[in-house]
Amino acid sequence: MSNEDTFSRKLMTAAAMLLFKSHRKPGVKGWELKHRLGKNYMKIIDALNSYLKRIGLEVKTVFEEGEDLDKARFYVTFAHPLTLSDLVTAGWSIDEVAVLAVTLSILASRGGKAPAKEVLEILQTKLPRWRAEAHLERAIRRGYIEKTEEDMLVIGWRTKVEIDQKELLKSLLEMKPEEAAEEDSKE
Amino acid sequence: MIEKRFRVSREELEKIIQICENIEKRGLNPFTINVRDILSKLRRMLEENLDLDYYVLDAETMYKITTLIALQHRWLREKAQALFVDAQMIETRLLALDKKSIVRAFLKAWRPIISLEHITLQRLRQGAEHFLSLPPRGEERSWGWKVSQKDVEFLKTSLESEEELSQKVKSLHEELLREYEAGGEVDYWSFINRGGFEKNFERAYLLSFLITEGYVDVKRNPLKGEIKLIPRREKAERKQPVSLVIVMRGEDK
Repeated sequence: MSNEDTFSRKLMTAAAMLLFKSHRKPGVKGWELKHRLGKNYMKIIDALNSYLKRIGLEVKTVFEEGEDLDKARFYVTFAHPLTLSDLVTAGWSIDEVAVLAVTLSILASRGGKAPAKEVLEILQTKLPRWRAEAHLERAIRRGYIEKTEEDMLVIGWRTKVEIDQKELLKSLLEMKPEEAAEEDSKE
Repeated sequence: MIEKRFRVSREELEKIIQICENIEKRGLNPFTINVRDILSKLRRMLEENLDLDYYVLDAETMYKITTLIALQHRWLREKAQALFVDAQMIETRLLALDKKSIVRAFLKAWRPIISLEHITLQRLRQGAEHFLSLPPRGEERSWGWKVSQKDVEFLKTSLESEEELSQKVKSLHEELLREYEAGGEVDYWSFINRGGFEKNFERAYLLSFLITEGYVDVKRNPLKGEIKLIPRREKAERKQPVSLVIVMRGEDK
């Protein structure tokens, strides 16, 4: 088998490992990639990343213990922001994402932790309590938020991977209702 | 007088510990406490109370204050990362904006993970192998669940054995009660061991029903490796039931 063939085969393996969920959580650890792709696995990942970028996706590396690549987790995520219509096509409801957005911005502004009761009080200004609770429960199941025994809400593992918390707070402060209306008419 | 002073100091230290714990648990602003003031107060109280109990409590308070300082450090770092955005400001913004605008702001910061659930070739092969290894079903079971005369007979015999089983459990309970009344707590192994392995196993099996039902309490001493049985005439309600694994081997225990 030529070098080129070996490389394309490894690229395919890397894509399958990253895109298909083989554990309870999505993504793979660096050591798993090393085991299947060899010690130069980062070269394969870089090559895959440039392929994926052409279709609006990218490989994201999340360090879990220091800067060690072997212990880091690799995911494939969207490279660009979704639009409101993408969201609806993907099966999310506006209410569900609004609950997630409100909860995560409260948590991010309070250092990653807040009492569930206080978060629900704010959510109730936008939605009926039962609906807010149901969406919050789903966000907990999906791993965006965690609930402690003391009834505190904490930022979950999925938020750390998918959401740029600094950007979230910044865009919330900058968002103007007119801007939203303009974007609506564009879509 | 000294005792009263000690009590007051103790209460004060406990209050400080509670405040520190509250800040840690509820994620409140750790700068609401003036650490310098507390430390000077601690020093003063330490000089007044030369007691070992007090030293222990003082050390615990110091530990909590250290945790608070670590929290202050983290709080500052997180605030700096969040560009010192005030939580109150964000909440006001959230109340002012409509749902769609909030979602739009969120979408700017959100890059969802792409992940697919899948079936692998290996799993497909395993599934096919399992299917082929299944024995063919009988004629009477070819479509849905049909209860045959054979099933009815089997059910009847199992019902009879259930009655038999409850009778055996009852007589074992009475036997255990007699042994308890004669000599107090009964050793598990000496009660179970009555001849061969099969007999011992049967007794252990029957006894497990009595324990689960609340007719027998089990007292375990992990240091001596003893398991004692305390039978009751009346059924006791289990508030926090736990499982106890007992391993039985071949001829002996």
